[in-house]
Amino acid sequence: MVMQALYDTLKPRFLLGEFTKQRDDLAFITVEAVRLHALLRHLRDQEGFTHLVLLTAVDWLEDGQFQLTYLLNNRAKRQDVGLRVLIARDNATMESIHDLWAAAATYQRELREMFGIDFPDSPRLHEDFILEGWQDIPPYRRDFDTLKYAQENYRDRPGRETRDPAQHMKQQLYGED
Amino acid sequence: MAYQPDRSQYPQKKADGTLDIDLASGKYLKLWQGPQHPGITGNMAIELTVCGDEVVEGKTHVGYLHRGFEKLMERRTFMQCFPIVCRICVPEPDFNEYCYAAAVEELAGLEVPELAHWIRTLILEMGRINSYLMYLGGQAGAFGQGVIGQWTTYVRDLMLDRFEELTGARIYHMFIIPGGVRDNLPEGFAARMETTLQEIESTLGDVERVMFHNAVFKKRAVGVGIIAPELLDSYGITGPNARAAGVAKDVRKDQPYLVYPELDFEAVTGKDSDIYTRADVRRRDLLLSIDLIRQILVKMPKSGAVMTKLPNVLHWKIPRGETYIRGECSRGEYGYYLVTDGSGYPRRVNVRGPSYTHSIALFERLVVNANISDVAALLVSLHTYPPEIER
Amino acid sequence: MSIRDVLSPFTAWKNLFRDPVTIADPLNERPGAARYRGFHKNDMDKCIGCGTCETICQNGAIDMLPVSGVPAKLGDSGLRPRIDYGRCCWCALCVDVCMTGSLTMSNEYKWVESNPDLFRFTPGVDKKHWDNAELGYQRHAEKHLTPGERVEMPELEPAARIGSFTEIVDGYSIEQAKLEADRCVSCGLCIATCPAHMAIPDYIKAVRDGDYERGVQLLYETNPFSQVCGRVCTHRCEDSCAARHEGDPIAIRWLKRHIIDQVPQEKVLELIGKPAAPTGKKVAIIGAGPAGLTAAFDLARKGHAVTVFEAQAAAGGMTRYGIPEYRLPYDALDKDIAVITAMGVDIQYNQRVGTDIAMQQLQSDYDAVMLAIGLHQGRSTRIPGSDHPQVRKAVDLLRQITTGEKIEAPKSMVVIGGGNVAMDIARSMARLQLQQHGEIRVTLTALEDKAHFLADPVEIKESLEEQINILDSRGPQACVIDDSGKLLGLKTWKVLSIFDAERRFAPQYDESDEQIHEGEMVVEAIGQMADVSLLGNELTEKLEWNRGRIQIDSNGRTSENWLWSAGDCVKGPDVINAVADGHRVAISIDSVFTQQEAKS
Repeated sequence: MVMQALYDTLKPRFLLGEFTKQRDDLAFITVEAVRLHALLRHLRDQEGFTHLVLLTAVDWLEDGQFQLTYLLNNRAKRQDVGLRVLIARDNATMESIHDLWAAAATYQRELREMFGIDFPDSPRLHEDFILEGWQDIPPYRRDFDTLKYAQENYRDRPGRETRDPAQHMKQQLYGED
Repeated sequence: MAYQPDRSQYPQKKADGTLDIDLASGKYLKLWQGPQHPGITGNMAIELTVCGDEVVEGKTHVGYLHRGFEKLMERRTFMQCFPIVCRICVPEPDFNEYCYAAAVEELAGLEVPELAHWIRTLILEMGRINSYLMYLGGQAGAFGQGVIGQWTTYVRDLMLDRFEELTGARIYHMFIIPGGVRDNLPEGFAARMETTLQEIESTLGDVERVMFHNAVFKKRAVGVGIIAPELLDSYGITGPNARAAGVAKDVRKDQPYLVYPELDFEAVTGKDSDIYTRADVRRRDLLLSIDLIRQILVKMPKSGAVMTKLPNVLHWKIPRGETYIRGECSRGEYGYYLVTDGSGYPRRVNVRGPSYTHSIALFERLVVNANISDVAALLVSLHTYPPEIER
Repeated sequence: MSIRDVLSPFTAWKNLFRDPVTIADPLNERPGAARYRGFHKNDMDKCIGCGTCETICQNGAIDMLPVSGVPAKLGDSGLRPRIDYGRCCWCALCVDVCMTGSLTMSNEYKWVESNPDLFRFTPGVDKKHWDNAELGYQRHAEKHLTPGERVEMPELEPAARIGSFTEIVDGYSIEQAKLEADRCVSCGLCIATCPAHMAIPDYIKAVRDGDYERGVQLLYETNPFSQVCGRVCTHRCEDSCAARHEGDPIAIRWLKRHIIDQVPQEKVLELIGKPAAPTGKKVAIIGAGPAGLTAAFDLARKGHAVTVFEAQAAAGGMTRYGIPEYRLPYDALDKDIAVITAMGVDIQYNQRVGTDIAMQQLQSDYDAVMLAIGLHQGRSTRIPGSDHPQVRKAVDLLRQITTGEKIEAPKSMVVIGGGNVAMDIARSMARLQLQQHGEIRVTLTALEDKAHFLADPVEIKESLEEQINILDSRGPQACVIDDSGKLLGLKTWKVLSIFDAERRFAPQYDESDEQIHEGEMVVEAIGQMADVSLLGNELTEKLEWNRGRIQIDSNGRTSENWLWSAGDCVKGPDVINAVADGHRVAISIDSVFTQQEAKS
């Protein structure tokens, strides 16, 4: 109820998109990229959502979009709100929020490295974070195939083989393939 | 009073705000700690730029433990993810199991039996004790007090015995499974747990006398590594690091989960926000966990279902949705952000480990102007576990 | 800081006088906890090689491999899991999911080898020192990872169904079918068990996905009688289902029926597609039962011209004239047949070969001939009085019921036999009795005791629900006829044993335990045989025979190279076997044609 009321108040001002109530204390709201920064500032300064819980991305490869999720927590009111921002997957760029939360710079650095999302002006954005000397496409993108990568770069210990029970049975019982 | 220079003036900044560090000047030195365990914080490296014995810049380097869990889970079924999540945090793996299981249960619409909630809470508190015991040994070790680690490792081993008889494993318990927990407590568990708790209490008494009432420890830890309360939100600081700054941030109280509403406790806080206070908050929080375990063993139902019926897990599909589940681990807010897309695999799993902000953004800020000899103790005092940074 | 802070640390010295806490000999004095997830054990007798452990292992640590001394047999693939301890993480999901409970864990955790390849081992086969360990991880008594209970099939209550021949089984709703299909672990043990090797796990997956059109395509790949088999198949597949060991087997038969029920007939035809271009080859098939029509369907799709000669007025063979309507409604059967005729199969009804058309003529007019005449002659007990006109054969009566002949139901009757046909006729006559006389008085006597009845358990259950008086271990001795020639009933003795020491049929009776079962009619339902008179003397002489049946090779070809035979008449009664046989013959005939083409 509280979240719904907040959403209704802020909707006209920030042109909020879809509202999804997940639990009594957790809701997700879709926001346009250009309004995110102002909305975050408002939530932080006016609505008590002072804690940036996490910032991460979801790759909706089929839709050609990245979803950025900014999860904020209001400790006094025991509320969480997740802001969903959908941005184009090609040349993905998003406004940095390190000026609102210093810790956000680390998240953005990781997103740049793992998803290839650019956050102009974010401190040390282009310094390697987890992957040193990575040459391939950003590995947390859905089109990066971990199994294929492993098969190309590593080899299995020899001596492994397996059979399909159905095929084996047919072959054993009827001599059929 | 002796002359004290204003250390915040060093190093000087260039006009654009970046640090003016000219390594060729001979005035500065690059110094690496790690990636082999600086203190006991796990595989992580810190790159220090020092001027004399003073740190002017510190950078955290991670990546030595990256196994890509979040990505690996995208090609595993919901049940297949269960055995791997615990590996994201070695000393306190159970929060991974709980957060993951609870997120899956929420998105799949499963109700977990009451008894399972109690056992989950019990396990999380047992894990917290272990994590704090490791921390205490590490914090003392960072100041050269090896004996504390020997004591805490011994009693931690006793708790591992309890884990072993309850869950069937010592380190990676793999017991909190989506749908509930794998079994009820074994026969006579409460009595053996009580013996263990008494042993830990006794050891903690020794730790208090030898580590905390210790002139050397106080000399080194008091007033060092202070986290100003106004940094908390900006740097995403949670757990004992926040509570030692006087803010009673504790998910168990703020947004209670499992059976915490039925347990009687107050969040442990301190006020000086230095290394000593953080250590003391953790010691007292450990005592709180001992009390909570006693409460749980008394209050919990003695029998009942521990697991709900699952659909066939080999092709379990979960409707599209997203959620976030958090818990208060020994280091702060631990959380799982799970996104499902209606398929049999998670669309995205994001693990929020408290060390992520503590050991990078916060540490890099706190280490400036620290003395080299305090760096290890400072890092340990933030209680960070690198695997949860890199996942 | 105080003086206390200086002195207090010295309390650590007290530990100088403490005993060490380490375990002196941890290799021997430190067993794992009772629940410890230690090294694997596998009970070779319980393991069925379904590979579910391999499927769930997220580490890819398990391989399924053949093991010497463990042959594949129905319900057991003959494979056994080999675990690579270089990859295993001892999560025990393999133990939790194991379909038989064969895979378990000991509490042993110490194992030293100098050759790392030895850590890839097959529990239960490679002998280990923990094989007899009593302790170790036990999965919870209740199995949680795969649902064990079958979704109950909605069906008519006995009171509602006994008054008519309305179909008893309703069929699953989409939700019920999805739930039932969800239980399948897709191990595929059923595939080899099914005579037609239907792609069972795949079509069950189609139910889960709600993709019924794909389901129909999968069904038709191996079986053009899905309406029939979805209702009356003997479902041997369910006997080898991995789920039966710790729960109910998957209702494979009902799921098949569910698929075909969901797709309209026109759509089915569209999905199957058009037959191939005509090849100019002609095939004659005698008998429009499942074997004949399956072969006809396959051959027609390949472009051969197929003519089926059927002695009765409608197609289906025993599925129409033997199986009562309450189990298999005629319109369901008609749908299957309509698809087959839509492929261009020409069925000539009321054409009895040997009477209306000669075998020799078929031989000369067609490139190949297939004999699929089924078993339509009832066997007789040949007990005294069995030649009485009111002593009837079950197959004849069932056929009469189907053709709609008026049958005067006797007020009381006795059925001899304990198989499915006996149940069919008892239950059919019970319905007629109720319609004509308002009460049921049917006694069924079987040689076998209850534990060894030949009929399906569900048939026995439903017969009892329908007030059939079932008597086991009764051997028929004579039909009792009074002086006026009226049949009074059946005299039986108690059966002591049916077979002798060499397993030959030689029933022993207790003559002192004699009963007379009242009945104005006695029906013999003790087996059927093929009516091979159509062959004529010459051909009968030429053909090779095997125990009263025409000898065929593995492709269904007889000793005469133009003649094939398939189905009940050579293999004994079973619809799905007949379908499998039909496929085999079709493949054989088609390959002979291909060889002929290649030569010419």
